[in-house]
Amino acid sequence: MTLTFIMLALLIAGALAWRAEKYWQGSAKWLALISLALLATIFAVFVLNQAFNHNNDFAKLQVMTQVDWIKTFNIQYSIAIDQLSIVLIALTWLLAIICVLVSWREIQTHVGFYYFNLLLTIAGIIGVFIAVDMFLFFFFWEVMLLPMTAIIAIWGHEKRQFAALKFFIFTQVSSLLMLVAIIATGYFHLLQTGQLSFYYLDWLVLDIPLEMSQYLMLGFFIAFAVKLPSVPVHSWLPDAHTQAPTAGSVLLAGVLLKTGAYGLIRFVIFLFPQASMQFAPIAATLAVVSIVYGAKMAFAQQDFKRLVAYSSISHMGFVMLALFAFNSTAYQGAIVTMVAHGLSSAALFAMAGMIYQRIHSRNLADMGGFWQSAPRMGGFALAFAGAAFGLPGLANFIGEFLSLVGVFQVLPEFAIVAALGLIGSAIYGMVLFQSSFQGAPKLDIVDLQSRELIICGSLFLMLLAIGLYPTLLLKFSFGV
Amino acid sequence: MLIADISQPLLTTAMAGAILPQLIIAFGITLALLLVAWKRSQRTIVLFTFFILFVSLIANVSLLTSQAIQVTQLLKVDGYSTFAFSLILISAIVALRMSHSFLKAHIEVHDEYYLLLLLMVLGAGILVTSDHFASLFLGFELLSISLVGLVGYHRDSQYSVESGFKYLVLSATASSFMLLGIAFIYSVTGDLSFNGSIPSEIYHQQGLGGFFQLGLLLFVSGIAFKLSIAPFHFWTPDVYQGAPTPVTLLMATISKVAMFVVLLKCIIAQHYLLLENFQVFLMSFAVISMLLGNVMALKQQNLKRLLAYSSIAHMGYLLIVIIVTSEQSLAFTWQSSLFYLAAYTVANLSIFIIIALIQQTNSNTNYQEDISLNDLQGLFWHAPSYGLLMILGLLSLAGIPLTMGFIGKFYILSQATIAHAWWLIAILIIGSGIGLAYYLPLIFKVFADPQAPIVPLVRGNSNEISSHIIEKILVYSFITLGLVFGIFPEVINQLISS
Repeated sequence: MTLTFIMLALLIAGALAWRAEKYWQGSAKWLALISLALLATIFAVFVLNQAFNHNNDFAKLQVMTQVDWIKTFNIQYSIAIDQLSIVLIALTWLLAIICVLVSWREIQTHVGFYYFNLLLTIAGIIGVFIAVDMFLFFFFWEVMLLPMTAIIAIWGHEKRQFAALKFFIFTQVSSLLMLVAIIATGYFHLLQTGQLSFYYLDWLVLDIPLEMSQYLMLGFFIAFAVKLPSVPVHSWLPDAHTQAPTAGSVLLAGVLLKTGAYGLIRFVIFLFPQASMQFAPIAATLAVVSIVYGAKMAFAQQDFKRLVAYSSISHMGFVMLALFAFNSTAYQGAIVTMVAHGLSSAALFAMAGMIYQRIHSRNLADMGGFWQSAPRMGGFALAFAGAAFGLPGLANFIGEFLSLVGVFQVLPEFAIVAALGLIGSAIYGMVLFQSSFQGAPKLDIVDLQSRELIICGSLFLMLLAIGLYPTLLLKFSFGV
Repeated sequence: MLIADISQPLLTTAMAGAILPQLIIAFGITLALLLVAWKRSQRTIVLFTFFILFVSLIANVSLLTSQAIQVTQLLKVDGYSTFAFSLILISAIVALRMSHSFLKAHIEVHDEYYLLLLLMVLGAGILVTSDHFASLFLGFELLSISLVGLVGYHRDSQYSVESGFKYLVLSATASSFMLLGIAFIYSVTGDLSFNGSIPSEIYHQQGLGGFFQLGLLLFVSGIAFKLSIAPFHFWTPDVYQGAPTPVTLLMATISKVAMFVVLLKCIIAQHYLLLENFQVFLMSFAVISMLLGNVMALKQQNLKRLLAYSSIAHMGYLLIVIIVTSEQSLAFTWQSSLFYLAAYTVANLSIFIIIALIQQTNSNTNYQEDISLNDLQGLFWHAPSYGLLMILGLLSLAGIPLTMGFIGKFYILSQATIAHAWWLIAILIIGSGIGLAYYLPLIFKVFADPQAPIVPLVRGNSNEISSHIIEKILVYSFITLGLVFGIFPEVINQLISS
């Protein structure tokens, strides 16, 4: 019930913020911030309470609510959480609050409606992480997509509508394939057991013949590969990230890409283990290509946000590679990489937003020598760039290291090629930092203000904490 | 031809009760004629028409849960036809309200318009209940001829002659095709009634010959004209654009619902799907409609033309339901198609309400004829409820969750998956992908920054307040309707499965 309440409360808070902004200017952001903080606390208390008072370690899926929804198709409103969803939801809360903070000054038009969309997206994302009825999952999958598209299309930069359109069509068409796979599996359940079911736990015990599950798996895989994104279905991402407002990019890179990885874990690998095992060489190849290609493309970019966007493709390639190695070390590495990339790319996009606010350009050619006027900003930028290229001591290093170690045991050739990506990331990371903060000062900019310090500081602390003490995440098994 | 057994009375009370909604409409038409003779007043006739439609709707809703009943040989009233007729009546009521401002722009009194509207509803009512080729043709003609009158009604408009004639000529052609087809079918089977006069073994042996198949093709092409299924769609964009908006609304909803229901009824009752050639024909119609409708809609700048092409695509999606039907899944076929039709009707009503409202507010004196995509610009910011309704309608047409359109698509996909019609599913997905490329820019237009002078859409003219309240209620109720049925589709599922 608590989880349902949280999602409803997000929706209501969004609607309230929308109305309130009409009467008191500037109230929407406060409302959004307070409600996010409050609901995040409620979520934390709920989880901790379950963990300590009921001795519940969430190693397996814990079903929270299960109510009939559409009886004709035996569709239920059923939600459940486990360690994987808890970690990802925690990341979502953190980035949601960061999103409100980075939009504080940036969003000047239609402010109330903006926060409504933001909170609705977050409600949708949380729904995606907890839904265990496949129809419900699909429902939330789209619910998070709609307001996100609106955020890009209304508050984005110059080519926003094209970017939003591309983002939406890519996601929608691929998710229709997933919908067909969902329906087919549901009806396969009907054939086998005599009852139509879209319930995830029912599907887990379903015995699907291999050649059929290959097709079903492919339906899911394509949808999640688009979201992840993996080459060759990545082309929406650079546009969407570049054109979105800062908070949009933070949310996209930080959490939305993770829904793809989450889907791969929960619905591709766990539901169709054999078929995914067979598919692993292809998936791993795609992943390695994404890693190298993303790094190479990032290096060639002149646009700050576009560079970070391509680096996301590279990093998410590591996640996919590690997942398809079927090795518990690699699996742990994938999850740490997901969290680490969520934090570091969000930080870099937030940094891009801060620079854009000061100089109204995302072009690296317009930047340079900012260290002179803004040393604190430069320090953080260096740290985040370091995190992105896997500097030891920060979270990304742990994730990528574990992934590579795990992958090497199973697919050594792939691990070797993927390691090249690390060199690439060091190059683009340095290019990014050098061309913006070093060299002859082109402009004097204002250094970080307290709000921005909070944003950068909290993200950096999280990266450092996981980097120095990875047991924070590694002590969980995440369902393996 | 024998109409009924001598031992039975022609029309029992139970039968009369079953066709009560249609009888009310028919009675209302005669009364309306008398009313016109007595007093020519726009206000009276509007109220009277509304009253007739409303009473008929109530009578119809009360029938929703009753048993199927054969009314003479000609008509058969069952839950499906009653549900479809409810959709038709609701659309007619909305069209009635939206016609108001369009007709107000002229000085004359427009009693004939309302008569034609009622006649059209009666035709649709006969169509959805028909169980015999004769009643089918009767309903078909009643519907078409009154629509011809309605399409060309606005005789000062630059398009009225063009679109009226186009519709007249093509719909007459379609009827004659259909009549010839029925004659061919009759010549082979010797029976005009729908229900099971042909044993299904005949189909398996392909024993009916080319003549029968030709007749069937002619018959279906006649109906396909009305449903604007490609390649019989050429009239659609021109007539949609040229007809007054309320009439376009009628064409997009009533005509489509009635025609589709009767087509499905006929095909199911006569087992035509056992003929393989026939399936191939339907499949090619569906594929061409889905692709062509969506591709042609991409470049349209006129909103009504765009909707015309999108309706072609939607009829293509719906045809899938018929194609994949098997003897075991008849009930499911009915549910899918009725749900899809309901979703399609609600979405189209939502969009056309907004189009009509924009047309009447954008022009003070003259009725604005054309409505381009740019007229939608910034709608969400100066009239949020209008914008919201428009967006919901478009999302529903695009088949995005939270709306009924998605559940409709879910039904179609389910049915196609059960039948393993993977190619049709692939085309459907490609079609919806292309569809997004014109639905989404429309939605973005609604969200875009308004053009320089913001004209307040809801104007507070003192003598128009009452009418505005009706429009507001209409807008808000359709927003609620769309959302509630989109999130809790079970309500409608229960209605159609009973």
